[in-house]
This record gives sequence, structure tokens and C-alpha cells, in this order.
Amino acid sequence: MNVQVVYCNHRTADLSLRERLAFSSADQINDAYRRLQASYPASEVVVLSTCNRIELYAAQENSNQALQHEEIAEFLSDFHNVPTDEFIDGLLTSNGSDAVRHLFEVVSSIDSMVVGEPQIVSQVKEAYELARKQGTNGPVTNILFQRAVAVSARVRRETGLSEGRVSIASVAVGEFARSIFECFNDKVVLVVGAGEMARETLRYLNDDGIGNLIVVNRSRPRAQSLADEFGGRAGSFDELDECMALADVIVSTTGSPEPIVDVARFRRVRSSGHHRPVFIVDLGAPRDFEAAVGEVDENVFLYDIEDLQATCERNRRNREQQIHRASRIISEETDRFMHEVYHRATGPIIKQLREDWHATSQDEMELLFRKLPNLTQDDRRTIERSVARIVNKLLHPPLETLKDEARQGTPHGLVDALKRLFHLRE
Amino acid sequence: MSNVNLSCFLISYLVAFGLEVTRLLRRGAIHRGVMLGFGWAGLVAHTIYLFVRSDKLGLPPLKSSAQDWMLVLAWLGVFVYMVLATRDRDLAIGLFMLPLVIALIVAAVFGSSEPNSMVVAGVGSHRLVMLHVSALVIGAAGVLFSLVSSLMYLFQHRRLRHKTTIQTGLRLPNLERLGTLNRYSVMYSVPVLTIGLIAGFVLAIRAEESVEGSGFSISDPTVIVSGLVWLVMVGLLLWLLRSKRPAGRRVAWLTIWSCGFLLATLAVSLTAREQFSTFHSSRTVPTGMLPPIDGGTR
Repeated sequence: MNVQVVYCNHRTADLSLRERLAFSSADQINDAYRRLQASYPASEVVVLSTCNRIELYAAQENSNQALQHEEIAEFLSDFHNVPTDEFIDGLLTSNGSDAVRHLFEVVSSIDSMVVGEPQIVSQVKEAYELARKQGTNGPVTNILFQRAVAVSARVRRETGLSEGRVSIASVAVGEFARSIFECFNDKVVLVVGAGEMARETLRYLNDDGIGNLIVVNRSRPRAQSLADEFGGRAGSFDELDECMALADVIVSTTGSPEPIVDVARFRRVRSSGHHRPVFIVDLGAPRDFEAAVGEVDENVFLYDIEDLQATCERNRRNREQQIHRASRIISEETDRFMHEVYHRATGPIIKQLREDWHATSQDEMELLFRKLPNLTQDDRRTIERSVARIVNKLLHPPLETLKDEARQGTPHGLVDALKRLFHLRE
Repeated sequence: MSNVNLSCFLISYLVAFGLEVTRLLRRGAIHRGVMLGFGWAGLVAHTIYLFVRSDKLGLPPLKSSAQDWMLVLAWLGVFVYMVLATRDRDLAIGLFMLPLVIALIVAAVFGSSEPNSMVVAGVGSHRLVMLHVSALVIGAAGVLFSLVSSLMYLFQHRRLRHKTTIQTGLRLPNLERLGTLNRYSVMYSVPVLTIGLIAGFVLAIRAEESVEGSGFSISDPTVIVSGLVWLVMVGLLLWLLRSKRPAGRRVAWLTIWSCGFLLATLAVSLTAREQFSTFHSSRTVPTGMLPPIDGGTR
């Protein structure tokens, strides 16, 4: 059994090159699968294409059918119409256990640009699913990709690799807002400003729906557009105080050079509104809310961009500290996987050899017992045990050698030699 | 099974708590498995201990001694902790619940293990006694959960105000859920405690009627202390119902003070009541009324 991966990723190729080599749509990948199947019918193939990596996994039963690095380079060049010399240096290949380890590292997200990011697991699952639909998968890639997903789950379970968010909006919502509120589908969310950061924050808040969304912006059409996108309503800047008094969550992203809400204004708002906790995400630079607004009362939770960035950075460092633990798990799982695969390859030979030798010894003992009819049952049993021990001792060295060789990869030469020497059937 | 003693499950809970603490530094499936293993093993030993005691005394644990009553309360706390910890691998409830449970078990060690003299003497109907002790233990369990949720609330609130990230192994429910849990725990435990206390007073009055000199008086320390604690809890409930700000740090602090006061009073009164002359202590029931225990004589 052979496994190879030919890949380029964010470490080996820049974004412009990755964009040219990417399989950006399902149709394009399906087309690639059709061509690969036609060119390499003996290979199982799975293509993984994301914005950070283009990887082609292949597996075959026989080593002489293994895909070569140059063949894949040629294929990518022809398919995308990109000259080979533009990307050949950034196109890497791994074989056998290195290829397996690479997939385990990718799916566990220790090879990702943002270590621990969770999307890669679903991307790998989707890639495998697409290969399955196209029929380019096979017994080896099936077990390999299923195991990869299990390894990723183990890494996430046993390390803190995916703990803590690392983007401003996800930290604001995931680490802080969700620690205050149970859900947002019964809350009033006020967005002040209609920039991209506001949109990204709303995407996280909108996971299980937003109860009531109000978007306030100096440009009414932009406010309306954002409100329409998330099923809210647009308000005018003059209504800001009334809206703040109602809001449970305030996301502010204006480009105002001065804070738009000072302590006195917010205190007035608070005294006229509810006294429930209010979560304020100030994504403006400079700040839209005076820092002292957070001290108005104990139920005001104000976070500015610096607070959120500090948390992102801390989480990123925490994740990186977990990489060595994740690598240890991946090494262990790679060894286990390879051992299982090679055991599967050599298992039938070992079984057949044992059965043949024991059958021969049994036949010879039957002849012997017919010639010596005076032997007692005890004598017969003693002879049977001795012969079985002799057979096992004779088989021990070749079988141990086979197992040792199997640890390095499928020992095709040795398996062929054993088949020929001992007349073993396929 | 009769070899199971109090230290078996106390040590199991101490180890489980130690492992909960070390989860702050390092986490893993094996670590969690060992922690849960110790927790469940402790709970099984705890259950066996209560059954064996009950069997030996011929009384349900709630009706027998002060020690057994506190152990039932601790059992309820551990049971809820184990169910939550097994269902949610990240929830750090053990850091707050286990110290309280351990404190209850330690307090139980100092409590009387002798069966309640009035129960042994057959004062009051079985149903009324069961209503009294069950309502008190269920109400006290509600108070225990209220205390735990308030402690978690304050911890979570402090983290959010200090803008610190969620520490490994220290994930807690959100403030909204903790506030609701706290509110409902108080709202449910105060009426249940009230029922328990009323049943207790009815029992005491009947005891006074049937056994002259059983010691019940309105100035009895048990009556004064339980009345005071009840008033504090009712005050907290009324404040919660009438407050415009039913959730928040102030509520959590107030709950901690009231519930802490109630649990501390319960623990002290149950462990030290043999030292005081109250209608609840064994010395107040005429000795002749007490039947022998385990075939022995009094």
C-alpha cells in the first residue's frame, strides 16, 4: 500500500500563486477528478483545495503504480494553464507515513495559518465527500480520511489547541458576549456605524438569530442595507440615546475622530433605560465610547479594540504552546495507523504460512501414528506438542523479519519472496 | 459493604477536587476520566454508607442522626455535580461545589451519629417527621445550589469586568443563566424550607403535648436560630421578587451571605446541638422512653 501527498500551502506558495492553482468550484474539482481517474485508474485520489492549501492525496495497492511528483506538477500545470516552473519549487511531496502525518497535521489545524482554526475539519470532510461522490476514493483513502477526522477530534479534546478565539469579532462574541448572555434571539442589538467590522460581528451574533436589530449610521442607505441583510431596522443618529436605552448589545464602529458617547450621556441613557447587563463592543479607532463609560455601573461591560486584540494575542500564544502536545498525539496516531495498514498487508501471508506448515506437520503425524499404533493418548499429545513447537520455532525468524520490515512500509519484496519460496496462493 | 466508612468517600471527593484544580493547568481525556472515576466511586461509596447506616439503625437516613442528615445533603450536592460534570466536559462546577460538599462531610464528622431521640421515642407521625426532614434537606439543597451559582456568578462577573480570557478548565455558564439559576433556587427553596419549619413546629408542639418536659419553648435556641434563618431567607426572596434589578453582582453577594449563613447555621446547630439543651437534643427526652439500639441497652 502506498500513500502520497503533493501539496503547496501558505508556507510554500504566495496567495497569488495559490489562487491560480486552486480548484475554486465543485465543478472544477469534479472535472479534475474525471481527468485524474482517466490518467491514473489504479490510484485513489482526494483533492483538498482551500484558500491556504492545494493538496492532492493519492493511494495505490502497488508501489510501482505510485504517482510521481512530476506527474502531479504536469497535471496541475495543464489543468490550470500555469507553467510548471512557476510553482514547482513550492510544490512538495510526502510519501508513506510522512504523507499520513501531513494529513493528520492539516486536519488537526497545526499546519493552518491560524493555528487551531476549526474550519479545516469540515473542509477536509467536504473534500473526501466530493471524492466519494466522484468515486475516486478507495479502501485506503476511506480509512485514511476517517482516521484523520478522528485524530483531529482527539487533538481538540486532549489539547487546548482550538480553545480561545483569535479574531476580534469572534473574541467579542464568543469569549465575552456569550459569557454574559444565554442567546441573542431575545435581545436588542444596536449597531452604530455600518462598516465591515460591524458586519462581521453581526455574523457571529446572528448564529442563533438576533431578537431585534437596530442599525444607526450617518448614511441612512448604508444603515438600511446592513439592517436588511440581517433582518433589522435602520434608525437615525438622532435616536441614538433611545436606541442605547433599549439595547442589550451595542456594537460601535464609526470613524468619528472624537468619542460619540461620554460618561454623562451614557449615565443619562442608563438611568432612563433598563438595568440589565449591557455589552458594548467599541471597534472604533479612535474610540467611540469614553473608557470611563465601563464604570457607570457594574452591569456595563465595555470592550474596546485594544482589549479584544490583547485577548486575541493571548489566545494565539496559548494555542501555539499546545502544538507540541498535538504533535505528540499525531506521531502516536500515525504510527498506529501505519502499523494497522501494514499489518493488514502482511496478515494474510503470515496466516497462510502458519496454516500450511501446521497442516503439513499434522499430515506427517497422522502417518507416524498409523505406523506406531501402540502409542498411548499421552504419548500422542506429547509428540503433537513437540512438533507444534518445532514448527513455531522454525517460522519465528522469517515472520519476525516480515513484521520488522512492515514497520517501515509494506515489504513487497519480502512478501513476493515468501510467496514464491513457500508456494503460497494469492 | 459494611467496611465502607465516611473517610472512603471523603478521600475520593478530595482527590476529585484536587484533579479539578489541576485541570486548570493541564487537561486531557485521561485526567478527566480519572477525576470522574474518583467522583463516581465516592458517590457509590457514599450511597452504600447511607444504606448500611439506614439498615443498621432501622431508620431512613433523613430520620436518623444529624450526621446522616448532613450526609444526605452532601450526597445531593455530589449527585448534581457528577451528572453535570459527566454531561459537560468543560464545565468547572466542581471547583465550587466540591469544597462545599467536603465542608459538609467534615461538619458531619463532628455531628452526632446517634439516632434522633425523638424519632427513636416515636414522637410524631412518620409522615410528619418525613415531611419535616425531607423538606428541610431539599430546601437546604436548593440553598446549596443557589450558593454555588452565586459564587460562579461573581467569578464570571469578575472575569468579564477584568476583560480576561476564559482560562483552560475554567469554563462557567453565562451570567444570564447563573442569575436565573440563582433566582429560581432561592424562589424554590424558601417555600420548601418554610414547609419543613412548619412541620417541625407542629412536631415540637405535639411532642410537648405527648411527652411532658420534652423541652419545647419559644425561647429554645433551635426555635430562635431557625426562625432567624428563615426570616433572612424570606427577606432575600421578597427582595428578589420586588427588586428592579433581579440579576447582578449585588444579588449574588446577598445570596452568598444569606445562603452561607443558613448553611453555616445548619452545620453548627447540627454538630453542636448535643452541647445545648434544646428540644432537638437527645438529653431532653426522658431516658426511659428511648428503646435500645442494635439490641443494646440505654
